[in-house]
Amino acid sequence: MSDIFGFPQDREATSAAKVRALEALLIEKGVIGSDSVDTVLRHFETVAGPFNGARIVARAWVDPAYQQRLIANTPSAIAELDLPAGMAGAEGEHMAAVANDAHVHNLIICTLCSCYPWPVLGLPPYWYKDPVFRARGVREPRAVLREFGVDVPETKEVKVWDSSAQIRWFVIPERPANTDGMSEAELASLVTPESMMGVALVAPPQA
Amino acid sequence: MFTRFEEYAAAAMLGEPDSPPRLDGKLFFSNRWERDVFGLALSLSKAGCFEWEAFRQCLIASIARWEALDCANQPRWDYYERFLEALLSVTESSGTLSRAELERVLAER
Repeated sequence: MSDIFGFPQDREATSAAKVRALEALLIEKGVIGSDSVDTVLRHFETVAGPFNGARIVARAWVDPAYQQRLIANTPSAIAELDLPAGMAGAEGEHMAAVANDAHVHNLIICTLCSCYPWPVLGLPPYWYKDPVFRARGVREPRAVLREFGVDVPETKEVKVWDSSAQIRWFVIPERPANTDGMSEAELASLVTPESMMGVALVAPPQA
Repeated sequence: MFTRFEEYAAAAMLGEPDSPPRLDGKLFFSNRWERDVFGLALSLSKAGCFEWEAFRQCLIASIARWEALDCANQPRWDYYERFLEALLSVTESSGTLSRAELERVLAER
């Protein structure tokens, strides 16, 4: 290990100072621009996140006809919303939506690798690529869902959708109770990427 | 296929030991400097200073060094400390900054 690395006591302040000095020197030398860091991060903060997916789900909740169109032709229904950015991003070429209801709970996995609809769900969670999740998700989805805290009753069918290079699936979760008076934007704030993968339910709003 | 560098870089780390913390489909930073060091690494690689894979190998090595420390000398786990160490390492090995320049950066704290 190089002697330029160490573990000082005031670690956070030290690391912050090192990063500040490093960035300042790199800008001074013209290696990067003064806005380079913000530019790359803005992509993750405004485009490659679950922002679009949450809006799509909220629209489907308030407009049943939209939900039908979303399931019938997902790219066309998404195009209706005129989402600000990100839909032309990677892995968004062929998306398809499925809806949870009183009879069916849907789960999304990718058994082969880690195909995932980034433009609607953002960054995949670290376990999505885990071989154990991928194998057990197909073999015993109810048990896997229970471990995620989702206990699907036996009366409900569990459908597993395998994302691939051809189609990336996402779930329209069930709208939670006590949300009748909420605006579309408020509803979107309840939607998590996990709920759009089927490994979580959307929690009702906090009282 | 990831055509944007930002998405390619994040996807390359997915499910690997060097994958950054995330929450609700977004990168998770608990401090401003963590966000900045992540952005710095991406910016430098995007600018062609080093291959993203070269940085990742430094990060994996940095994580392995932390793991190899005995308990008495092992500091609390901090992903972005490992990340900063890896960035300093690849910045020197790629010739982006000289060792003297890096020493100056580190002395400024």
